[in-house]
Amino acid sequence: MADFSLLMAGFSDVFTLYNMLFILCGVVLGQIVGAIPGLSIIMALAIAVPLTYGLDTLAAISFLISVNKGGTVGGAVPSILLNVPGTPESAATAMDGYPMAKKGKPMKAMKYALYHSVLGDLSSDIVLILLAAPLAVVALKMGPIEITALMILAFTVISGLVGDSLIKGLIAASMGFLLATVGLDPGMATPRFTFGLLELYDGVPLTAVSIGSLAMSGVLLGLLNLRKPDKEQHSAVSIKGGSREDNTVTFAEFWANRYVALRAFIIGTIIGAIPGLGSTTAGFLSYSVNKQAAKDPEAFGTGDPRGIAASETANSAVVGANLIPLLTLGIPGNIAAALLVSAFIIHGIQPGPLLFEEQGRLIYGMFGAMLVANFCNLGVGQFCMRFWAMVVSAPGTIIYPAAMLLCFAGAYVITGATFGIFVMVSAALFGYVMRTFGYSIVAFIVAFLLTPQLENSVLKARLITDDNPWELLNHPVALVLIAISVASMIYLGPRKKKPLDAEMPTPTGQ
Amino acid sequence: MKSLNKFTLSLAAVCVTGIATGTAAMAANCPAGFPGANVNFQVGYGAGGGTDTVARKVASDLEVATGWTIVVQNKPGASGGVMAKGLLGRKADGLTIGVASNTTVVINPHVNADIGYTHNDFAYLGTGMVLNYGLVALADKPYDNLEEFIAMAKEKGRATISVGAATHTIAVDAIAEHYGVKLVSVPGKGSAAALKEALGGHVDATIQSTVHVSQIKAGKMVQLATLTPNRAPYAPDAKTLLENGMDLSIEGHIIFLVAKDTPKEILTCLSEHLAEVTNSDEYTKFLAGRSAVSGNMGPQGTAKWVADASVFYGKKLAK
Repeated sequence: MADFSLLMAGFSDVFTLYNMLFILCGVVLGQIVGAIPGLSIIMALAIAVPLTYGLDTLAAISFLISVNKGGTVGGAVPSILLNVPGTPESAATAMDGYPMAKKGKPMKAMKYALYHSVLGDLSSDIVLILLAAPLAVVALKMGPIEITALMILAFTVISGLVGDSLIKGLIAASMGFLLATVGLDPGMATPRFTFGLLELYDGVPLTAVSIGSLAMSGVLLGLLNLRKPDKEQHSAVSIKGGSREDNTVTFAEFWANRYVALRAFIIGTIIGAIPGLGSTTAGFLSYSVNKQAAKDPEAFGTGDPRGIAASETANSAVVGANLIPLLTLGIPGNIAAALLVSAFIIHGIQPGPLLFEEQGRLIYGMFGAMLVANFCNLGVGQFCMRFWAMVVSAPGTIIYPAAMLLCFAGAYVITGATFGIFVMVSAALFGYVMRTFGYSIVAFIVAFLLTPQLENSVLKARLITDDNPWELLNHPVALVLIAISVASMIYLGPRKKKPLDAEMPTPTGQ
Repeated sequence: MKSLNKFTLSLAAVCVTGIATGTAAMAANCPAGFPGANVNFQVGYGAGGGTDTVARKVASDLEVATGWTIVVQNKPGASGGVMAKGLLGRKADGLTIGVASNTTVVINPHVNADIGYTHNDFAYLGTGMVLNYGLVALADKPYDNLEEFIAMAKEKGRATISVGAATHTIAVDAIAEHYGVKLVSVPGKGSAAALKEALGGHVDATIQSTVHVSQIKAGKMVQLATLTPNRAPYAPDAKTLLENGMDLSIEGHIIFLVAKDTPKEILTCLSEHLAEVTNSDEYTKFLAGRSAVSGNMGPQGTAKWVADASVFYGKKLAK
């Protein structure tokens, strides 16, 4: 479908020193921001967008996309090394990444994460380049009824994440569910649980909640553990030592995860192509699906490379696939994509159905930049890994306060007001209590994240079908998804009786 | 959507403040020594949205024109309500300029009990962009204008229209009432979500303000009716609601406002500079890329429009 000469011209535009430099800078910036707990990719992008106003269009877009790509790789670092996921999408990575790091293989865990992240990203970019138009059409066919079914399926996934106590897991999920109802209701715009606070009209800010409950609560726990006369007090993970085998990932080891990676890639690409879902959903869905598909699901959560591969491949595959609705329809798939739209518009380009006709050369240039950025990501990631390992080997008395400061900064910046800090601190205390008493924070966050989407689609589906449940029979995709949800609940149920350690381990280990 | 450019921009601001302060304005009448500090733009919506993009463009053009340092901050929440309420708590020195939508000032006070302001609490500097409200549908649907759409709805008994904000339902309800037909608003989070439902064929039509234009140009969608008072340049064949015999036109603007007690000479200074930017070729070209116009109504025009619109929506929403 592509005009070959246009494609070559676009690709050759990228290979200038100027553009390559911006791609490299973008990747480095993205990885650093991603790796710092409390700072998110969204934040990095929002900061980077105004910086690109003065650049030429291709350099600007390449830079922003590189920041986004770098961020997805960097995000795994604190999850693995500190068990402090800076962003919700890397929380699934912590479930196996941190245990592996605790076992003395932090470099190996980071390498698994890096390779699978780049693999997922690269594959979904190729899908974007080759199949954007037909995939966009398919994604559009996912209407409110299908999305409702998909959300129900995603909720059943929580049951795979709750840890050893189903009841505690369900309590955690219910709390997330309840917290998500704060704000204006999507139908009549009636304020719910807002207590007269305008700041709560759009709901409790997700980023502040996730920084607080995932990152800050981990930091608090880490700080408190410092006071214990424990031998592993000085750093969360010991970097030094370890045999060569513990520090490298061989091709055979990488290849052993091919089916996990394939499933994760398919899940990530589909979730990414549907506007409004996101990389966190993809990461958890993939983790849970792969766990269910495994012969030995109980190995997940104990430092299994398949867990890292499942999460990282899927959340990175979303990045490329997210551009499918953006480029073909002009609909941004998530906040990161919305920021790219604003960059496009500032540079006088309107994303949408005419984009390829009007700006073909630029778009192929952008595709070229995406491919280049993936390889930069790999190179920079290899290099930065050592740097991060060094940073974490600093005493906890330095690491944790620094991370805490960044959590405060992140929460402030995200809401532009101290309100974000209040939310973040409350979420942190709440998260700390949950961790202490063994409630799954992951189940809480996933429920909090999915509920607004579910509520909105249920409302739309009811309005569209005029409350006629038989309409469901006209939606085979939704029927299949609901059947899978039922199957997954039945299948997961009995398995839960085995004592599994799927919960996010605390920094002291279990 | 969240936002955050404050950080870098403030850093940048710190570096250039020394050079920028006190630079005399060229075309506009400004009090001596104004602004004497950074000027803040507070956007009532998140980074990356339509209002944000316009605010940033105006800010960067204004910086070039005046030599001021302008810090753009996003204060999203309650359709600009969080920002507007915060603006009232600020010193009325003209250094903090709110960038809002019509929803912020003319609809919020009627629907939100907690909003704590009315349109009378602000002074208006002007407007930055006219929103192209239109009722649009997929091109391959069997109706191409409002009459055919209504005929289909009557035949089927109902029709669904996706809207980006609960407040767009005002238009849907008015059309339904006029034609005596059942039209169901399907609310989504933002115009892009509403557009997605329409493009996927899950609803019969959608109300849009900007993003539909490129779909129409590509021939994927048709404008059934134009909701603004005049026909849209990108869809000259679509009749307005007024032409269809309804007593309804809906206009949307991106509005620049400050606290009410801001001194007169500062208001003059700011509004003249704003007009200078919105009338520039550069800005016109920027909006033309989005098939939009600035339609800056100036300080008095904006104040009058806001007052009239507030009365209009007050009546509609009281029902």
